[in-house]
Amino acid sequence: MKPPPGAPAKPGPSAPARPGTPGKPGVPARPGVPARPPAGAAVKAPAPAAAEPPASDAIRGALREDRVLVAVGAGGVGKTTVAAALALRAAVDGRSSLVCTIDPARRLANSLGLKELGNAESLIPEARFQAAGLAPKAPLRAMMLDMKQTWDELIEKLAPPGKREKILSNRFYQSLSSALAGSQEYIAMEKLWQLRTQRDYQLIVLDTPPTAHALDFLDAPNRVLDFMNNEAARWLLTPALAAGKVGLKLFNLGSSYVSKTLTKFTGTETLQGLAEFMGSISGMNQDFRERAEQVRDLMADERTAFVLVTSPSAERLEEVVRFHTLLRQNHMRIAAVVVNRVHLPPTFEAMGQLNRLEPQLRRKAAATIDEISALAHNDAEGIKLIRKECEGTPLVEVPRFDLDVHDLPSLWKVGRFLCGEEAVARA
Amino acid sequence: MRLLDKRLLVVTGKGGVGKSAVASALALHSARSGKRTLLCEINAADRLTSLLGKPVGPELSLVEDNLWAVNVRPEEALREYALMVLKFKSVYRAVFENRLVRYFLRFVPSVSELVMLGKVLFHVKETQGGAPRYEVVVMDAPATGHAISFLQVPQVLLDTVATGPLWTEAKWMRDLLVDPKATAAVLVSLPEEMPVNETLELEDALRKKVKVGTALVVLNGYTSPRFDERDLQALGGTALHAVAKNHFDRAQLSLDSRGRLERAVAAPVATVPRLYEQTRGPPMVEKVADALARALESAP
Repeated sequence: MKPPPGAPAKPGPSAPARPGTPGKPGVPARPGVPARPPAGAAVKAPAPAAAEPPASDAIRGALREDRVLVAVGAGGVGKTTVAAALALRAAVDGRSSLVCTIDPARRLANSLGLKELGNAESLIPEARFQAAGLAPKAPLRAMMLDMKQTWDELIEKLAPPGKREKILSNRFYQSLSSALAGSQEYIAMEKLWQLRTQRDYQLIVLDTPPTAHALDFLDAPNRVLDFMNNEAARWLLTPALAAGKVGLKLFNLGSSYVSKTLTKFTGTETLQGLAEFMGSISGMNQDFRERAEQVRDLMADERTAFVLVTSPSAERLEEVVRFHTLLRQNHMRIAAVVVNRVHLPPTFEAMGQLNRLEPQLRRKAAATIDEISALAHNDAEGIKLIRKECEGTPLVEVPRFDLDVHDLPSLWKVGRFLCGEEAVARA
Repeated sequence: MRLLDKRLLVVTGKGGVGKSAVASALALHSARSGKRTLLCEINAADRLTSLLGKPVGPELSLVEDNLWAVNVRPEEALREYALMVLKFKSVYRAVFENRLVRYFLRFVPSVSELVMLGKVLFHVKETQGGAPRYEVVVMDAPATGHAISFLQVPQVLLDTVATGPLWTEAKWMRDLLVDPKATAAVLVSLPEEMPVNETLELEDALRKKVKVGTALVVLNGYTSPRFDERDLQALGGTALHAVAKNHFDRAQLSLDSRGRLERAVAAPVATVPRLYEQTRGPPMVEKVADALARALESAP
């Protein structure tokens, strides 16, 4: 594995060495020393201390203090990468961490040592860090969330012994656990709650499913609560519950005009099947309600924060603003907006060299410089808008790297930008 | 069989690859080829209005000659569907606007997906004076994972409910989706390693799980070669070398990506050049449509 330019190829100035850390021979144990920027990229290290932008403080503070970080955002913006970079950084800095990914790209999964492990938490082996020139002070684990398995475990735990099989084999349960919109979002948070309460990680970073609508995510516990314990369920079940039996006959369809019409729409069997399912889970209502409330509390906990990930393009602006507004409305704390894959402007050095070229090559190079400038300009405009719309929330920029971010050195590099140790230079 | 001879084109791909722009451009191309075309956006945050420069809402609207567009949303789709089944508005109100029923319908598996897909497929079937009302329906479908589950809803329902009106609805929808003469997928990808991997996985999943074949791959953001090895040598160790090398690598990656897609997918690959200017909305869609038209003309 050959690290990309600028990544710490072996323990060097950018390795996580701190004052008081017994550094390896030749490693200057000084904090805040920037890695050598990759050739040609317009990155610079901001002056330490006073001149630091608040955004990087926000991420560093979150990595130091928070117990749970939830990476949210639209699909395709790099949530998984940011989540993994955050967990890696926390572990390197000394907090035992877990990154819980939803659907990692295969090479990222490979570099985290994840292979079809389902819900198992796997320790990233020492050798991988050594190869990347990193020496974490605390363990880093990674897992891939298996939604179906998590649902099944939840039912097995909460269902009364005699009813487990019946529920697990019910067709409605099966589509609820694997297909129902919103159930993915819910189960991700349910798993987070289990991990939070049953394990002693200092930090858990949760990657989230690509959500088309921010509301699906925030609304998920409520939806599941509705499902498990709502008026409609009671209305459907009352005749049977009153009669003291739970079975096929519980669904008294003849009783109302509403249910008659509904039957015309869905068919009798569908309603009966659903009623049967609700009958079998009715004993679990209370447990589910408590659980969903605890999940909701965990989201609102003062040591839980959201990291809103987006791309700089103007097309994504509406989505990020909607997410931001909803999180705020729901009193969720947003640690930072991370603008990922920002195009960097061409360097002055490169532009200055144009005149020295022979005409044909100069035309080609100038065209390329123009294209790069246009991309960087578009991104800068997009970021301005995001900054304006998300005022009051720290904003961190991570540049677009030449290669896909999939290995530990590149994740480490992303983390350096998140923590403000490297920054996108703006003229 | 030519692409525009299909009745339903399902445009999908990884998030952020430019699905909506490609779907809009494809619909534009179809309309300008003389086909009555309907472009459907699925419960999205209305991307089409800014891409087409004309208001697109839950009611079908004419965008230009031969081109209609609609944003299919669950509430309106459910209402339309229920009205079709129930015939009377008063009945609809009494039943579907009942608070308890609304609660309940949220939990009948995938009702909202079913009625949205149902609306799109209804327009595929719709006729006027004996001819199809829309000859081509372009669906700007959800991204990768969601697209698979969205298109599988009829099949999931067929497996979940045994009989009844929902089953009947699911049946004709499934049959239309899996009919290779009527339906095909258009996959949008980017010339990078991971997006291409995902496209290949998506093509496989669509074919095997949903039984929908891919008729076209659109490789968006394509970089054509500009510098050659000699140029790079001439630039030596300058800062411009890095700029040129980056372009050179991207062009190489574009070529490789195209080759990988062409080898693995039994469908033509249309390339759309990477756009740099700050073009958004209709001018950008026009450019993509032009590129698609060129690519489709030269496709076998």
